[in-house]
Amino acid sequence: MELLKKYPKLIQWLFLLVVFFFLCFAIDVPETYKFIRVQAEFIKDPNQVSYTMFGTEVRYYPFDNFWRLPPLLGWLPIWVNDFIVFLLEEWMPVEYWNEDTQEFRTQPLILKITRNISAIMTFVIELIREIILGGVETVVTFTSWDWIDANPWAKLPGLPWTIVAAGTAILGYKLSGKGLGIFAGLTMIYVSIFGQWEPSMKTLSFILVATPLSFIFGLILGILAFKSKRVEKFLNPILMVMQTMPQYSVLVPALVLFGNGDHAAVIITMIVAIPPMILLTLLGLRSVPLEVIEAGKMSGCNNYQLMFKVLIPTARRDILIGVNQVIMVCFSMAVIAAYIGAQGLGHYLLVALNQLNIGAALEAGLCISLIAILLDKMSLAWANKQNDYFGNLTFFQRYKNTLFFAGSVIVGVTISYIGSFYLINGFNYLFEIPHNKGISTADFWNKGVDWIFDTFFYSLKIFNTWLIIEVLQPMRALYLRMPAVATLVLIIGAGYIVGGIRSALIVGGLSLFIALSPWWDRALVTTYMATFGVIVSCIIGLIVGTLCFQNKHTTSFMLALCDIFQTFPSFVYLIPVMMLFGITDTSVLIAVVVYATIPAVRYTIEGLKSVPAALHDVASMSGVTKIQRLLKIEFPLAFPHMMLGLNQTIVFALFMVIIGAFIGTEDLGQYILKALSDKKGAGIGLLLGVCVAFIGLIFDNLIRTWVNKRKKHLGID
Amino acid sequence: MLQDKHLNKLRELPEPVRQLAGLVIITIIVILSFAILNIFFGHDKDLVAKMKKEEEKNSEKRKLSEMMSNLPSGILVTYDGTDNYKLSEELYEKVCNATKLIPQRTLLGANLINLKAHQIYTNNGNQIQETFVKWDSENKKCVAGYVLKGTIDGKEETITVSGDALSFLSTGIDTRVYFIKNF
Repeated sequence: MELLKKYPKLIQWLFLLVVFFFLCFAIDVPETYKFIRVQAEFIKDPNQVSYTMFGTEVRYYPFDNFWRLPPLLGWLPIWVNDFIVFLLEEWMPVEYWNEDTQEFRTQPLILKITRNISAIMTFVIELIREIILGGVETVVTFTSWDWIDANPWAKLPGLPWTIVAAGTAILGYKLSGKGLGIFAGLTMIYVSIFGQWEPSMKTLSFILVATPLSFIFGLILGILAFKSKRVEKFLNPILMVMQTMPQYSVLVPALVLFGNGDHAAVIITMIVAIPPMILLTLLGLRSVPLEVIEAGKMSGCNNYQLMFKVLIPTARRDILIGVNQVIMVCFSMAVIAAYIGAQGLGHYLLVALNQLNIGAALEAGLCISLIAILLDKMSLAWANKQNDYFGNLTFFQRYKNTLFFAGSVIVGVTISYIGSFYLINGFNYLFEIPHNKGISTADFWNKGVDWIFDTFFYSLKIFNTWLIIEVLQPMRALYLRMPAVATLVLIIGAGYIVGGIRSALIVGGLSLFIALSPWWDRALVTTYMATFGVIVSCIIGLIVGTLCFQNKHTTSFMLALCDIFQTFPSFVYLIPVMMLFGITDTSVLIAVVVYATIPAVRYTIEGLKSVPAALHDVASMSGVTKIQRLLKIEFPLAFPHMMLGLNQTIVFALFMVIIGAFIGTEDLGQYILKALSDKKGAGIGLLLGVCVAFIGLIFDNLIRTWVNKRKKHLGID
Repeated sequence: MLQDKHLNKLRELPEPVRQLAGLVIITIIVILSFAILNIFFGHDKDLVAKMKKEEEKNSEKRKLSEMMSNLPSGILVTYDGTDNYKLSEELYEKVCNATKLIPQRTLLGANLINLKAHQIYTNNGNQIQETFVKWDSENKKCVAGYVLKGTIDGKEETITVSGDALSFLSTGIDTRVYFIKNF
């Protein structure tokens, strides 16, 4: 009893582990169990048993329930899919006037709405694309192809790349000074002379549509959630799931509802980008000091004025950070959306990766990363920039950037006009360097990859084989060996120990959903891969973060490096690992480790930074050594903050594991990828995404609850 | 009253004990829920036995197909005196057990010396009822044959043509009876 009172949590954990291992050893693997069997959820086999729910027949291989639960939710993906198809093809047919055939036609309401939204999106994307690159589609929308044939001059001319580059440089200078201006200019020049102008501008046009729309919707929903507790309560679970849901999985329903192309990509990007905007709007509005609100009210503001003249301007920085997040999400979606027909850099990157043309993939990936860094820096600079309301500036000082831009437009147009007289092989390079006509380093990189393979083939193969045989396969086997009852006892018990009955019920519900889906085994494989990534990332993150923290310069260098790496779209990480390890599980896991190490390092440094400086002095005065200070003071106090990093690391690892399906894994991601090419894949894709999100939320709930308790306990809440 | 008394007693227990008790109860509830679920959705033992049987069958099939893919392509025989691949006694039995197909040319060859069978076969439009290839463990021979059913001179007749399968054709994927010695 004394022991229990002294170490209550330790005893509880011990009890839980004993029960877990007892169940693991007591429940044998059924003789008929094979991992491969679980793949066949919807195929017909006389050895399966079946049940029918809501008119949907679910077939499955029966096992002892202690080992694997029956897929009692197996009907849900099919039902969701049928529901979407019903909405799209049958529900509420409405009559409309068809201009082309000059007669009334009927079309289901949802189909009509989605097609109209698609048409508007396509028009806006095309308009922006043609402003930058030129074209006739926009004019055709208002006239006809016959009219264009009769008036060949009537097309949007597009902007010379020199003007866009100069404009970006000037904007960078205006937002953050010389440094950003030069970086912006060089990035645009690089993109152009390396022949990536056209795909880059296509990607940019897609982002220029998705970002403002996501911003507007996010802001409106954020304001509504701020105003009404009911809206907030309704949005909260959706936001939580969306934040941990892999972006892949939302592609399939979008494909069914909106079809294939840039418009569908914009819509899906908005769905993914709106949640961070809502959260940051809410955060910004909540952090407005009460005094400011009171002052606004005392000045006689009505509700509208209070919101738009007081609250939003005060929360400006957080809201603009939200814009930054929206841009980053949009950029990361640019590659993933290429799966459903988005044009631009993502498309070229995907094609290059499919062809295993690492050089071309690297060129496209570098462009994506450079533009992502540029947009990140610009939006952050915008967020941090303060308006000078009281400056007494001359006309030139006030409008110098506009004047410089006007000058650059004149110069750009003139030199591209001159360039048109000196065409080089039929291309006006001063107007636009066509795709694949610029400088290319693809061959150099491809030869580099060949050299790496030739030189390090045996070493890499030895490492690869060792990792797969000695580490990954046993770990995978261990995860798959866990009976469902043991896993659920462990998760629910952990929830109870960490956060009481409420937490136990939440994590229990989430894990039960996965256990009752047809993909429990796949979820275990996903978790094993993510766990491996998280363990290695945390070790690296802890060591690197702690070492860097010892010096001011290395700390800021590492944080800047994390900033840069965090802006890279996740797909880019696959390029170097495929260069080194080819198409293997090792590649996916190394990509997971690299990607997930970023938050691990960042939060270790941030955690150590959060320890009050006064405590350092106290420790030094008490005569402790550096190691003692680190182990006895800094780590314990920084631990809650570092655990938040672990939370992020898990989410990052899960995302990368799912993206790794592109290389070829056998987890939930692979099924999401399959659902993309499945006619009935909308429900499956969506539910698979929910399963991944739930894995993330289980860890999120456990870690967050523990962190909050620990912070309270340490008095640093 | 008694209930309140017991509840009060529980409330008076120290927090760590109550927490551990809660954990134990939760664990028991989870395990019991699984046990209850097992009653309604438990697996059928017959089905498991059936699956195991099928699994064994499949593994046997896999072994045989592996063996067949290792055989040289062409004619496999059981006797000396030709350039073809000669099967060992052990392999002869295995090939016999693995062979399921009797191609048309083999049927025609066997029909040549069985006029009735030839007639029924032609009248039926080359239709046969069934074929069989089985190992005669007593005589240590592979027996292959087929059953023909049809009318000759207005009479319904069933003829079984069978004989020793002394040679096989290996396609690299499967083996087929090459010649039935029915004389």
